[in-house]
Amino acid sequence: MIERTIKILTPHSAPHKTCVMGNEGIARAALEAGVNGVFSYPGTPSTEISEIFNHVNNFQTAPDNQKKYPAITNDPVYFEYSINEKIALEKAIAFSIGNRSAMCVMKNVGMNVASDPLMSVTYQTIGAPLVIVVCDDPGCHSSSNEQDSRYWGPMASVPMFNPATPADAFKMIKEAFNLSEKIKLPVIVRTTTRVSHTRGIVTYGNINHENRKPKFERLPEHINIPARTAAAHTRLLDKLKNENVLSLLSRNTRIVLNGSKTKFGIISSGVSTSYVTEILYQNNSTDKVNVLELGMIHPFPEKEVLAFLNKGFEKILILEELDPLTENSVRIIAQKNNSTTEILGKGFSGLVSTGEFSIDMITNVLEKFMETSFSKSENLPLENPEKYLQNLPPRPPALCAGCPHRATFYLLKLAIPREQSELILCGDIGCFGLGALPPLKMLDTINHMGMSISMAQGLFASGSSTEKNKKVVALIGDGTFFHSGLSSLVNAVYTRTNILVVIFDNRTIGMTGHQSHPGASRLPKYHEIDIPPLLKGLGVEVVETINPFNIPESFKQLDKAMKHNGVSVVIAKAPCIFLPDYKEKIDKQMRIIVDANLCNSCANHEDHSLACSRCYAPKNNLSRAKAKLISEISIPAQEQLCPANICNHGFFNSILEKDYKSAVEIVRDKMLFARTCGAICHRPCELFSTEANVVPIKKLKHLVSGIDENFRDFSVPKARVKNASKKNKKVGIVGAGPAGLSAAYDLVQSGYDVTIFEKENKAGGMVTFAIPDFRMDKTGFDYEAMQLAEMGVKFFFNTSLGKELPLERLSKEYDAVILAIGMNQSKKLNLIDSSVPVAKRTDALSFLKSFNLKEQRIEPGSTILIIGGGNSAIDAARSAKKLSNLNKVIVSCIETDNTMPAFAEEVKHAVEEEIDFVHDSYVESCTIWKSGEINVVLHSFRNKKLLQNLKCDYIITAIGQTTDPAINKNLSKDENLRVKSEHSFTGYKNVFVAGDISSGNNMSVIGAIASGKKSAVAVRKLLENYKYNYEGEKALERLNTNPTPTLRLRRSIVDEDIKVELEKYNLFQSCYKCNHCIDNFGCPAMVKVNGKVQIDQSRCNLCGLCIDVCPNNAIQWSVGADKVLESEEV
Amino acid sequence: MSDRNKLLIAGVGGQGIVYITNIITEAAMLSGIPVSVSEIHGLSQRGGVVTAGIGLGEHCTGFYGKAGVDFLIGLEPLETQRCLHYLHKNSSVIFGSHRIQPYSVNAQIAEYPDVNSFVNYLNGQCKEVVFIERFPETVDSVLQNIFLLGRATRMKDFPLKKGKIEKAIHSIVTGSYKEKTLNVFKQGVEFEMELKST
Repeated sequence: MIERTIKILTPHSAPHKTCVMGNEGIARAALEAGVNGVFSYPGTPSTEISEIFNHVNNFQTAPDNQKKYPAITNDPVYFEYSINEKIALEKAIAFSIGNRSAMCVMKNVGMNVASDPLMSVTYQTIGAPLVIVVCDDPGCHSSSNEQDSRYWGPMASVPMFNPATPADAFKMIKEAFNLSEKIKLPVIVRTTTRVSHTRGIVTYGNINHENRKPKFERLPEHINIPARTAAAHTRLLDKLKNENVLSLLSRNTRIVLNGSKTKFGIISSGVSTSYVTEILYQNNSTDKVNVLELGMIHPFPEKEVLAFLNKGFEKILILEELDPLTENSVRIIAQKNNSTTEILGKGFSGLVSTGEFSIDMITNVLEKFMETSFSKSENLPLENPEKYLQNLPPRPPALCAGCPHRATFYLLKLAIPREQSELILCGDIGCFGLGALPPLKMLDTINHMGMSISMAQGLFASGSSTEKNKKVVALIGDGTFFHSGLSSLVNAVYTRTNILVVIFDNRTIGMTGHQSHPGASRLPKYHEIDIPPLLKGLGVEVVETINPFNIPESFKQLDKAMKHNGVSVVIAKAPCIFLPDYKEKIDKQMRIIVDANLCNSCANHEDHSLACSRCYAPKNNLSRAKAKLISEISIPAQEQLCPANICNHGFFNSILEKDYKSAVEIVRDKMLFARTCGAICHRPCELFSTEANVVPIKKLKHLVSGIDENFRDFSVPKARVKNASKKNKKVGIVGAGPAGLSAAYDLVQSGYDVTIFEKENKAGGMVTFAIPDFRMDKTGFDYEAMQLAEMGVKFFFNTSLGKELPLERLSKEYDAVILAIGMNQSKKLNLIDSSVPVAKRTDALSFLKSFNLKEQRIEPGSTILIIGGGNSAIDAARSAKKLSNLNKVIVSCIETDNTMPAFAEEVKHAVEEEIDFVHDSYVESCTIWKSGEINVVLHSFRNKKLLQNLKCDYIITAIGQTTDPAINKNLSKDENLRVKSEHSFTGYKNVFVAGDISSGNNMSVIGAIASGKKSAVAVRKLLENYKYNYEGEKALERLNTNPTPTLRLRRSIVDEDIKVELEKYNLFQSCYKCNHCIDNFGCPAMVKVNGKVQIDQSRCNLCGLCIDVCPNNAIQWSVGADKVLESEEV
Repeated sequence: MSDRNKLLIAGVGGQGIVYITNIITEAAMLSGIPVSVSEIHGLSQRGGVVTAGIGLGEHCTGFYGKAGVDFLIGLEPLETQRCLHYLHKNSSVIFGSHRIQPYSVNAQIAEYPDVNSFVNYLNGQCKEVVFIERFPETVDSVLQNIFLLGRATRMKDFPLKKGKIEKAIHSIVTGSYKEKTLNVFKQGVEFEMELKST
């Protein structure tokens, strides 16, 4: 940069040719014209002019340089980035009045802000020359509109130049300074992107060191009062008729191509001239047309244009980008002078007032105008390039890798999810406007500079915000805040509005190339203004400065600001990646890597074709990402596995997202019984977890399945049946308990024809008959089971395996058979059976069945002894109590309180219901008294000593169940649950078992479901070469091999009434369909290759936020590449 | 080679397009060839598309139109392909394989075009096509622009002399970077392995 600065400051006594950008030429020309001060607000395409003077000023004022380069540091050029264009022009005017020559630089829309001083100073006077450079942006490469600044010439009655090339611009700037000096008026040089950002050859000359002594002259013109304005206006218009103006007009209205004897004339201005001359030279047609170039466009070169009109052309074409200013002036001159030459302009051959011209466009226009065709014999176009140009992915700009604005947007995105909020986000001009684009999409409005705060307060005033507290949010960059946001904020405080303003303070004006501003001045010559005290001084009550990279802390602060009723401001402060402040903070020894095993891979499925939670999960499930950042308890989902392989991760995160319907669907991806399990599942996913704190899955299942509307809608599984590819294979299932029904559910959805045989008259098995009605909603279970019939499963009730349904026939008639006949015979206690009459005793299953059928008759006030410590015992005990509150119920079991196999929650309920327990006891003897009372002698199981005698009226034995002995005896299984060939079912290779009979009788409902699912997988393996193993195996195995986790149950008793604090938890795992970082964060350093995210190390700026963003913990810090290599060598 | 030549450099913000444009411009000045350049700035630093047109010769601007570019240097395959309609049958093209995936590709909204099929098409259409399928490992990705420029000087229709480019690098590049740049330029000039056709 120093070399460039020295180059631009070096005078040349002999002409020195160089190739420079238009903007650089403008800067040099101003130096050659002896400019003393430059005032600007940066804005593309004008920015480089100001940047050069910023460097020039820094260079010239540095004492070292003053010593080293005295010649070019003498009389330094004053420079400032003013806070906005109005201030810049006002200060430039004053600078000129102080007798120092000034230049004021801005982009097209900047002139709107500066128009107030422009419109009045012309009626007064300036001192030293003042040149205004305004750069237009036809085609809106980087502007909010493509307004035509040429209007300012006639509007303000100031001379205006319109260069076509860098060389033109260079020349005209010098002429503009000269003219301004002579007529004491500001002079405007207007360029466009294609002039400012084009490089061309410019001839540098000497630099004028005319020493202007600062002085202020007391002139009446400095006081603008109405009485003087009429005369001042006349004086102004007279200035434009000054001979200096006229001679410059004449010099800058040139015939650039002068074809002899041609009938075609062209008048062009600005870059159009470059297009015309290039095309005509390229096609050897320079002699076929006359081209008049207008370099100075205000005042209009009437005399020269009239002369051109009178040259006798048949027709004249006007070429100018944007509005038809020249065209209209030419038409007026033609009309005034009765010219009959045809004039063509806008509307001719596609010439429009919008966008930029191009070589192709002007070529077409010229061909039509000159009635010719520039046909080519060489350089023919390629054949059929369209195929390679179609559907090319667009490349919109994006916030840089490491940009703090992305962090702030991400924070806002998590804090204010767009899908769930009507909050209006009013954006502004600047880099962070890119936050409107995917994937951030966090802006609802962007207008002109500084509008955001006004937009927010106006929308608040209109009452159109539907947010709870009507708050509207304004988002504004730090540079823009000082440019024009501050005054609007004053208005917001003054009018007691209710808005949140987020200032995206990246410590610089980012978009235009990192200029300083009052909030981040960076140089000692400027005073830095600290935003928070400024805001406090204005009366903003809540001012929070956040570090957007610290999301958990920022959440709290943002929440505070959002909740405040009134004007609150959040300053998201972190440096732009281009600033030294950023670069100093990062550790270049480190790099960021993605663990491919954790990225977009599923911890639940090998078979990705299985129904997956993500199918219904909210499109951008932000909750899991948010949970990672704000939860107190993080649990890997592998720690909360379900034997039925329900995706607890998807289930929980749908609930976090408040999408309860999806949560139910996720359960139903794997099984029918969302409500049943919500009621009676013994929740192995919680109990077997090694984590101290677990997500209360069962309770949540109870809550979401209780929402009747969602519960009743089985359309998703039904659609799966409909869409499944039909296998045309029949599967017969014996037993309509949870295991058989679950096998049927999976198989029917996989395209099998399923028939169920059940010995009772309704489905449900133990759930229907053994679990007491008060423990669960049986109608819900019936509804769930019924769905299978609607999904196409055929039911035959009152049909038992055996005589009426020989296995042999089943095996032949069906492609596969699953036996899920359960264990529904109670084990017998001989002592009781032999000593107690049938009327005074029963077994738990019989008792519960009659209880559920409401056929149980025990006289109220009876004492009932239950023998056994399992779930049936507790169910029987509680049922006995439910029969009548007057009943006294005693449970005798051999186990202690801690070792009972019954679910602790049930025991807890039983204790609450005043059921007595005699632990460590067994019945030593029992006698029937004449009164009918039974005297029972209980001994200690441990030491066999007498414990107590007790009297009861009724005994229920509950010491376990077994299956029909005839079947059970001969049943043995291989590891696939297939009936082994050597036993009595020899030859039935297509017969499988499921449910209780597949693994003893220690199973629960969820165990039965899992076992049914596993048998369905075994069937699929047999019938369709299905290659995957049962995916819930790990949890099922744990269920089957672990002793009943009684101790753990004791500890984990939870009060059902406690409200679940969802936000406390983060249940995470890698997810096959995640894509969270790409869909919501979209850092340009993230690349998706073969379905996995990778970090492009060459683009990564090491901000590290993606590590927090990844919900699966797949992104991590790693030592740098070089270090890894070194350690490998060692 | 006519006395007017139009070069186009295409790529993505951050790939050093303006940088090699400056070198080429300086080389043209050193060769006494009139030169004019048109670049589009604005959001280029934010990963957008950047193109720079260079016109060599009298009345030859940096603006370019359909079938109007004689020599294309592509720093990124997709951006090279996007410039296809500026090429003509006598155009020369050199481009590198370094892909920079746009967001739409990462988000699986769009597909990155097949580079091999594009190379084959170009081979059948243009006068000379050089595709650098793999850069030598010693070439830093930020210096691929210089490498391509070096290799371009060996192509038949490259309008500037190798020596002038070297001189331009000498006068434009400063400090310790100068030696590195010249070295990569030389590697480009001498580079032999590239996919010319499949």
